[in-house]
Amino acid sequence: MLNVYFGSCEDEIYNPPAFFVNQYEDEWITTDLSKEMIKDVDKSDVISSRVIDSPVLGPITPRELSGGVQTLMLMAYDESGYTFNASSCGNNCAKWILKIAEKKDLSVTLHNIMDFGNGMFDIRILNEDKIVHNMQEFVETAIDYV
Amino acid sequence: MRGSHKIEIENKRLRYDFAVKRNITVIRGESATGKTTLITMLQSLEENGRDSGIRLHCDKPCLVFTTTRWKESRDQIHESIIFIDENQKFVTSQEFAEFVAHSDNYFVIVTREKLENLPYSVDEIYGIRISQKYAGFKKTYNEFYRIYYPHGITGDADMVVTEDSSSGYQFFKRAYQNIPCVSANGKSSVASKVRSLKGQRVLIIADGAAFGSEMERIEELILHGYDIILYLPESFEWLILASDILSDPEIRDILSHTEDFVESELYMSWERYYTHLLVAKTQKTYIAYSKSTINPNYLKDKVLNQICEMVPRAIRPKVDHLK
Repeated sequence: MLNVYFGSCEDEIYNPPAFFVNQYEDEWITTDLSKEMIKDVDKSDVISSRVIDSPVLGPITPRELSGGVQTLMLMAYDESGYTFNASSCGNNCAKWILKIAEKKDLSVTLHNIMDFGNGMFDIRILNEDKIVHNMQEFVETAIDYV
Repeated sequence: MRGSHKIEIENKRLRYDFAVKRNITVIRGESATGKTTLITMLQSLEENGRDSGIRLHCDKPCLVFTTTRWKESRDQIHESIIFIDENQKFVTSQEFAEFVAHSDNYFVIVTREKLENLPYSVDEIYGIRISQKYAGFKKTYNEFYRIYYPHGITGDADMVVTEDSSSGYQFFKRAYQNIPCVSANGKSSVASKVRSLKGQRVLIIADGAAFGSEMERIEELILHGYDIILYLPESFEWLILASDILSDPEIRDILSHTEDFVESELYMSWERYYTHLLVAKTQKTYIAYSKSTINPNYLKDKVLNQICEMVPRAIRPKVDHLK
């Protein structure tokens, strides 16, 4: 399940891309999930664990991936126990956050109102320990915090 | 600093073209649109000059504020355009807001935080996209686009909510006599006030020049079940000035290119400049303006009607009963 804390919490990594470049592992880049996320968000193709083909930037390393995709990979694979700031991700990352949270109990912070789309979902709002099921409930709760 | 400043920055693969015309510009939007790449190019140029292979055309220096520079050398930078990348926590601090308030620099801030301490305009929140004007070229041309465009304004509201609790509220309460009018007592309370009015059609009147921090919340309410009409003139004072009630050619000229008159060091937002201008221009006249309490002459038929003429027709107060 996805757990969202609006605002900062004690174990938050506020700048996930800075954390990513120093902590990512080669194996993260070549998983099917990472390849799909990189293709969908960055429109880029993973060539190998150290080379990605970007249509705009040309060949790049994982360090030059978007901050959104870097944060998604931390959410999926990092085991340090930190809580990552999901506001590093644009709305085009929202469906991937929900997907990652299908497989694990994922806690993130949010400093803006991410749009998770028009579908139904289960997101636990940690500030109030309640579960919201759609964007209207999510927004109505979020405006008290961000 | 004042005025509009065009910025062109490019390398072999990428080019960005945009202009900034207020002290605060905010860039947000989806991931992977080139926000950080823009900052990285500016940083590389700053560190390596011509050796970077990056070309910049701008009539003002363009610099990148990192946390280190913010802490150690911020007071040495003047008359520059300062870029700040995402995830720099200092931009949310009161200390940073105070620095911006008295700065002769312009700021371009990449962030999805609402930055409630900074009064930035709804018109100066941009995303970055690939320009279709140059589609097919080997180089990618990036342009800025406004994230929040005015919504189509239609129909009657059940309730009017003003951001303002003083003169603006008093004016609109009088103008919209047939519709309940309440004040949210400040911009940060507008969203929660609207939430409390769920099920009603609410007309929000707020100062567009300083309402940027609230736009995401209001937009998300609109997208997810709330019936909201947004009217965001620059400010209530702008509305009075633009109504031409003073028949002053200088005011008309200022309103047509305000960016050339607002000194960023003196006015943190255009809303404050318009207040200063209106107070100065109406001093010792029958419509002497005070922000705290509306001068009763603004509520009399002729003046009230003329100002209301500035409101879009679909939501204009029906003031015939006052004639």
